[in-house]
Amino acid sequence: MKAKVVMMLILVGGLAAMDSQSFAHHGGAAFEMKAPVVLKNATITEFLWINPHPLIKADYKDAQGKVQQWTMELGGIVGAQLVGWSRTTLQEGDVVTLYVWQAKTGALVGRFNKVDFADGTTMRDSQTGADDGGRADTDVRR
Amino acid sequence: MGRTSTSVLAGIAGVLLLSALAAAQGDAPRSPWKYYPEDARANVGPGGPAPSRDLTGTWAGEASGAGVKPGIRPENPPPLTPLGKQLFDRNHPQGPTVLVANTNDPHLRYCDPFGFPRNMNDQIRSMTITTLPNRTFVLIAFQTQYREIWTDGRTLPTNVGGRGRDAHDPTYNGYSVGRWEDDYTFVVETTGMDPQTWATESGYPHSVEARVTERFQRKSKNDLTLTTTMDDPKLYTRPLRLGEVYFRWIPSQTFFNTTCIPSSLQRYLKEMADPAGNPSAAR
Repeated sequence: MKAKVVMMLILVGGLAAMDSQSFAHHGGAAFEMKAPVVLKNATITEFLWINPHPLIKADYKDAQGKVQQWTMELGGIVGAQLVGWSRTTLQEGDVVTLYVWQAKTGALVGRFNKVDFADGTTMRDSQTGADDGGRADTDVRR
Repeated sequence: MGRTSTSVLAGIAGVLLLSALAAAQGDAPRSPWKYYPEDARANVGPGGPAPSRDLTGTWAGEASGAGVKPGIRPENPPPLTPLGKQLFDRNHPQGPTVLVANTNDPHLRYCDPFGFPRNMNDQIRSMTITTLPNRTFVLIAFQTQYREIWTDGRTLPTNVGGRGRDAHDPTYNGYSVGRWEDDYTFVVETTGMDPQTWATESGYPHSVEARVTERFQRKSKNDLTLTTTMDDPKLYTRPLRLGEVYFRWIPSQTFFNTTCIPSSLQRYLKEMADPAGNPSAAR
């Protein structure tokens, strides 16, 4: 238990030290950070591994069966790479559950929080990947 | 807990994290062309005394992922003249109340290069310094920029942006000359920067006559401190302190590709940032 707590502190502290200016670069004031929107069984339509931020585009069928087209941004590529992301982490056609901090405008865009894959593993954002919107407490897919 | 203590702890934790990440890489064959998390690890400790008159090497800044401590930001509020205030008020930097959708930051909206001195006080990621007999180059990872600092004894141009055959054009990085003040302090003077660029992320303006002084101080083998001031009497009532940034020497640092690609930025703005910040842009 003690070792687990120590490792948690190491990971949280390490991520805090990473890429600290890049979140400010395209800051988070646009997003509602109280509770993420959950897009269960969303289908990835495009994963853009681009600067200034990678974009995840996904279709999500709402309770009425209407398809919503979502776009969400990750932290910068540098931070994403250092926590295990690559340009092939998500691919078109993947069915996943996405957690996203939606824009305050109500548009179907937001800041990415985390993704649950079909195999039960999870990947988080380097900057807003914790369940409370803070930095993630995990580094690689697990 | 003080900012310094927090930073030190975060830095140590960053190093330990990178070790954990390295362990997580498994036994996959290592490629010299691939960047591994452990490559971002800053050296521990001072590493010995600073070499004399030598900045050559690869340096990691606070946003590099290497756990380098945060620097001192440009002074705020800036001591503006009335003209300086007029120009400053035209700039709308991104921040808590101005979203990416609403800023007129020429970099965030159009991929324009930061230009100097902003490229030495904003997005401090990685930097390589290399030296020729008559000049020193600063290679800046963010946006893949370079600066040329002449050390052949020439003086700065006196007519930049003016008319006439002796005039010089303003440039994004200006004109720079450097000299060793002592064995460990390299002083760089720069003028002639394109006045359309911002001096800082917060939108501080500068004129083409601005004169920036940088002091690169190598405090040990592994530690480099850059302190910058800007003298621009048209726009500021006294020399402006542009802050202090810290670098740590990393032996195998590789530059990440952080070039701003205009077509990518246009997609990012149209499909993400503008709908996120401007209801009229939302679908």
